[in-house]
Amino acid sequence: MINPMLTPWFVAAVPLLGALLGLSIWSQPEKLKTWSVTVTLGSLLAVLLGFFTLTGSTEGLLFVLLLPLAASVSLLGQPVHRDHRLTWVVTLVFLGMGLGILTLPSPIGSIALALLLGFITFLLYWHHDPFWGPSWLGIGTYGLGTLCAGIAAMTGSAIASLLACMILLPLVPFHHGYVAALTRLPGSLPSFTVLLLPAIGLHKLAALIPPVSELETLPVIVLALSGALYAAIKALAQSRVRLLLTYGSLSFFSLLWWCVAASRTVTPQAAVFLGSLALVTAGLLLAWQVIRTRYGDDVDPRAISGLAAQMPQFAVLISVLALAAMGLPPFGVFVGFMGLLFASPLTLSIAPFVVAITWLAASWYILDLVQGLLFGRKRPDLRYEDVRQSEFASLLIVVMIMFALGLAPTNLFEGTPRSTDTGAIMESVSWNR
Amino acid sequence: MSFVMLVPLLPLFAALLVLGGDEPSRQERAKMAAYPIGGAFLGAIATLWWVSTQGPITLRFYDPASPATLAIPIGFYIDRLSAVMMVLISGVGTIIYTYSISYMYQDPHDRRYLALIGFTTSVLLCMVSSANLMMLFVFWQVLSYMLYLLAHNHAHAATLDGAFKIFTVLRIGDVAFLSGTVLAYQLYGTLEFETLFARAVDQPGMLSPWPGVEISGPTAVTLLLFIGGMSKSAQFPLHFWVPWSLYAPTPVSALLHAGIINAGGFLINRLAPLYGLSSTTLHVALVVGTLTAILGATMMLAQNDIKKTLGFSTIGQMGYMVMECGLGAFSLAVFHLIAHSLFKATVFLNCGNVIHKARQEPKAPHADPREEAKDFSSLTWSTGFITTLLVPLLILLVTHGVLHIPLLESQGTMIFLFFIWITSSQAILTLTRLRAIASWKVSSAMLLTLLFVVFVYLFAVESFTDFLYPNPDEVASYFQAAALPNWLFDSMVIMATILTVLSWGYLYMRAHGGTMRIPRWVERLHLRLYVIVMNRLYVDELYQTLGKAVMRLVHRIDKRNARWSE
Repeated sequence: MINPMLTPWFVAAVPLLGALLGLSIWSQPEKLKTWSVTVTLGSLLAVLLGFFTLTGSTEGLLFVLLLPLAASVSLLGQPVHRDHRLTWVVTLVFLGMGLGILTLPSPIGSIALALLLGFITFLLYWHHDPFWGPSWLGIGTYGLGTLCAGIAAMTGSAIASLLACMILLPLVPFHHGYVAALTRLPGSLPSFTVLLLPAIGLHKLAALIPPVSELETLPVIVLALSGALYAAIKALAQSRVRLLLTYGSLSFFSLLWWCVAASRTVTPQAAVFLGSLALVTAGLLLAWQVIRTRYGDDVDPRAISGLAAQMPQFAVLISVLALAAMGLPPFGVFVGFMGLLFASPLTLSIAPFVVAITWLAASWYILDLVQGLLFGRKRPDLRYEDVRQSEFASLLIVVMIMFALGLAPTNLFEGTPRSTDTGAIMESVSWNR
Repeated sequence: MSFVMLVPLLPLFAALLVLGGDEPSRQERAKMAAYPIGGAFLGAIATLWWVSTQGPITLRFYDPASPATLAIPIGFYIDRLSAVMMVLISGVGTIIYTYSISYMYQDPHDRRYLALIGFTTSVLLCMVSSANLMMLFVFWQVLSYMLYLLAHNHAHAATLDGAFKIFTVLRIGDVAFLSGTVLAYQLYGTLEFETLFARAVDQPGMLSPWPGVEISGPTAVTLLLFIGGMSKSAQFPLHFWVPWSLYAPTPVSALLHAGIINAGGFLINRLAPLYGLSSTTLHVALVVGTLTAILGATMMLAQNDIKKTLGFSTIGQMGYMVMECGLGAFSLAVFHLIAHSLFKATVFLNCGNVIHKARQEPKAPHADPREEAKDFSSLTWSTGFITTLLVPLLILLVTHGVLHIPLLESQGTMIFLFFIWITSSQAILTLTRLRAIASWKVSSAMLLTLLFVVFVYLFAVESFTDFLYPNPDEVASYFQAAALPNWLFDSMVIMATILTVLSWGYLYMRAHGGTMRIPRWVERLHLRLYVIVMNRLYVDELYQTLGKAVMRLVHRIDKRNARWSE
């Protein structure tokens, strides 16, 4: 039996130790990958062993479960190659730091957050593209995030914490770091950071948002709604898959910001929504990785077609992931989205329209992408090869988690029993503009 | 009563049976899968019998007191409406599936299509037996995706493009449905049908979208849900996805036109107590339905392709059905829905034979007008005239005098009688074109048709309404909610009467070989209108232009943003 005080340390230490030990088999990529996946599963086991002794907010506990799974699928989906070794080890380090931030008490967790953001800034600088403007904006944004997290850790400043949250859980105009991380980081890192950073952001936000007054949340609501529209437009305009998925998820994260700011609370449904959205984006990034492994890093999605007949397993998995990403039932994104909307206040007539347009736009760009890849004529000059075992496993795990999040009772993730009061509004409601 | 769960599960099992297994047993499995679908039909009949004699069946896998605990509250509520719909869907599904086994034989996509028919039947059965609005919405969306899958062919670019557009249009409806569902929950705190209706009656709530404008809660909710229904039931201006779906194999079209498209009509009936609280929504439904019926029927006449003709006929009929709902005649709409489904499934499954015959007979399908004039029979036309114009008047007088029904005070009764007249004249107008047989036979057929239509409608009015809505006060309240101002109602009746009589006169003249003096500008206008209608109001082009304009705007914003970022 683990001492409850030591549980967070134990949970965070497993992947960090695993990363350290992994260095001893650095010269054997295949073994290193297997080891890294084993470590993530070990982390999941450690989390499960200590789950009931972990203290923390509801959403934090869900993310503590999801992070090792996300790390595991991110690693599984990568091809075995010498160039990817560093990203595997860094994924384990990120996992350890992420679990520590979510479970360790405040000053240590905040310091770990500053370190994590600094580490990502460094990685972005290392992999930056000097000819692509947003790359610098991304480095700058995460640099600012590091600074804010550091100030928050030292002084406990609420403004610094809020800024750090806006960078972690991306909110326009502080989204460049997120865009750069998902498009510039190599190997397994984008598909893992897509959950890691927003999850930490929401976790921090949960403690920050309740004391804020209605007036103070207004700028956040305005930013969230305009950001949702902006990101949906950007996603519609993209021809590159990683950018499309980045902006698509950004538009939904903006909706999450709107719900949290408008209701001034973080509900378990918000956590389910974030976890599902991040995981499905990770799944689609991994699916795109399958294509990149076969046809090169710079492959144009419009040049690939007819995969449904030639790669049936891949076609089924990516179709299910696309359904989940579009917000169709019975997956976690839909359930979380409905939960968010049910909990959101009946104010601002513009907000429902933005929510509706964002949701509708997702059906457009996601379906356009998947339809282009799967259907149409088979190209005779392309060599088709269906998913390999590890790729299949990683995508299948994501699909199963999406199903589980969609079908599990929402009170499973609640710390305290929910009231059975359905919250009916029994008097006239004024629906203000 | 958990056996009712088998009804939606059996078609699902059939779909899995078709999909799984090896290649050599493919045809065998396709044939075997017909049995579970047929079993679902028998189960639906048993359910209907049980529900009719023992009352509604409720099966919930969650606690209704706190629906938020289960993310998707899965449950079944089967009342008479649900049971009737289940019999219809599983029955049509069985016929279509059985037909498809040989129709799709050796088609490279047969396995996919047959499995999709099973899946769609299962989804439809779950949808009509949903215990709450959330579950209904879940299956409503799944149905949108099923339609997308059914309508497209992997390697055919035009079909893929059409399927994509269909999904986009259906998602517009889904967004409206989502908004209605969320608003209903926020206003009334529940999505359980019974509780929702009770709370909407007790505390309807008022919304103020902008200063000075107030809208009642039930009106806002029902209007949003109605838009959702409009997309599935192809109501103007969300009707244009139907022609895009016609690339699909004929059995799929049959399922679409006989089953899926009825979703809107079912939705309104399922939520009838809520719709009954909003006169505004019912009047909107009347306007939308009337427009759709007129446009659908007009466009149908101008098509030169049998599947497109049938497609637009469906749009017209759906308009007719929604119009009935808008008039408060909910049970009549369900009756119409059933009749249309059976009729359209038969017609679609037969259209291949018609095309085959038409290719063999040079005259078919168009008869020579000179021969029509030569074959003119006075007896046929006199019978038609009397049965169309005089007998309905007699019925009106008898109803008024003998049954003491206050005709002028009850718009509902007028609606039923008017539909009897319109339907019978439609059927009789069709019969007047029969030439190859003796005129006395045609006249007898006309009289029989009239009697048939009258008795069927009387059945619809009396028995079917009583069956679906046993409480007469409830039925009366719907008619009352849908009641129009008397002057408007009278004008509509008079207008429709004039149009019917004029068309009769016009046809009579044409049959005599006579011509009408029509001013030149009217002829020119007629030609222009014909071209517009033939091109389906250029809605496809408008949709494309709109899509391109949106994408141009999106790219312009993206470019400006990229410039700023650099």
